[in-house]
Amino acid sequence: MTRDEISALLPFLANGTLEGKERAEVEAAVAADATLQTELAALRAIRETMQSEDSYSPGEMGLARLMRDAETQVPATRIQRPWIWQAAAAVLLAVVIGQAVLTNREPVPGGFELAGADDAPISAAFAPDTPESELRDLLLRAGVEIAAGPSAIGIYRLEPLEGTDLSEAARILRAADFVESLEVSDDQ
Amino acid sequence: MDPHAQILTQIAHGDKQALAALYRALEKPVFRFIRSRLNDPFESADILHDVFMEVWRSAGRFEGRSKVQTWIFGIAYRKVIDQHRKRGRVDLTDDIPETIDEDPNAEMCLAAGQEAEHVRHCVGQLKEDHQTAISLAFYEDMTYGEIAEVAGVPEGTIKTRIFHAKKLLLHCLQGRLQRGATA
Repeated sequence: MTRDEISALLPFLANGTLEGKERAEVEAAVAADATLQTELAALRAIRETMQSEDSYSPGEMGLARLMRDAETQVPATRIQRPWIWQAAAAVLLAVVIGQAVLTNREPVPGGFELAGADDAPISAAFAPDTPESELRDLLLRAGVEIAAGPSAIGIYRLEPLEGTDLSEAARILRAADFVESLEVSDDQ
Repeated sequence: MDPHAQILTQIAHGDKQALAALYRALEKPVFRFIRSRLNDPFESADILHDVFMEVWRSAGRFEGRSKVQTWIFGIAYRKVIDQHRKRGRVDLTDDIPETIDEDPNAEMCLAAGQEAEHVRHCVGQLKEDHQTAISLAFYEDMTYGEIAEVAGVPEGTIKTRIFHAKKLLLHCLQGRLQRGATA
C-alpha cells in the first residue's frame, strides 16, 4: 500500500470501521510513522468534536407530521389495481402500437419526440403517481432513455443506451411495480 | 444482520407503527446529515419528512442489497442534491481537486480539531462531495463501502474524495489556528 493509500484510509481507522488486512496494514504504517500518528490523533479529535455537537431535530413534532401525511398515502406494494384495468391498459397499448406501425403515424402531440424516436423498441406506461426520482432510477438501472412521450394516453417510447441488452432492460422494467404495461418490438 | 430489515418489511405492509419506530431510530442521524449539507434547519426538516415519506411509499421496493440505514441515507443524499440543484448550487465534480502539496502540521490540526467552531467552519468550506464523505465518515461512522453506496459511486472514488477532503480540512484547521495565534 502506498503512503497516499494509507493516508486515504486513515479516517476509517479513526472511525473504527477498517477491518482485516487493510486495518493491519494501516496500523503497521501508523506505528512506524510519527507524523501519521499525530494525523490519526487529529482525525480522532475532529470526529469526536463533530459527534459531541448538540443536534436539534424535529423529533416528535416531525413524527406527528409524518403520521398525518402517511395516512393519506399508501405504500406502493399495497396498491392493488383491479386486474380489469391492467388488462384494459395492455389492450389499449397494443392497439396504439398497432396503429402506429400500420399508419406510420405523425409525432405524438403533447409529448416530446427526438430524432430516431420512431425506432425506439420499448413502449411503456407508468403509474400516474410515480415520483420522478423513482422513474429516473428505474431508467438508469435498465439502461434506457426516453425517446418520446408521454403520449396523450401516457405512453413513453424508450430507447436502450449503447451496450444495453434489450431483453435485460425489459426484464428490469417489468419487475418495477409502477410499470403498468410494457411492449417490446420484435423487429429489434 | 441488519437491525432495521424486519421493520422495513412491516412498513412495506403498511404498518404505520413500524414507520414510527424506524423514524425514532434514524431521525436524528438522518436529520444531522441533511442539516450538515443544507445548513438550514427548516428546509432540512422538510427534506427529512420527504425522506421518510419516500421510505413509506417505497419500502416494498427495497431489494436488500445494502443495509436499510445506508439505503435511507442514499435517499437523503439524492434529495439534498436535488435541493442544491433547485438553489442553483451544483458542485459535484471533484475529479480535479484543489491540490495542496505540503503536509499540514498535524500537531496544530490536533489542537484545532478539538474546537467545535473551527471544525464546523472548515467542514463547511469543503466542496459538496467532500463534505458528504467526511460527514458520513465522522458523524455516522460509515465504512467507505457504505459511503460509496449512499453516494452511488465506486469505492475508489470515495477513497479519493476522503484523501483530498482530509487534506483540505487539516490545512483549513491549521490556518485557523495560525490566524488565531497571530491575531
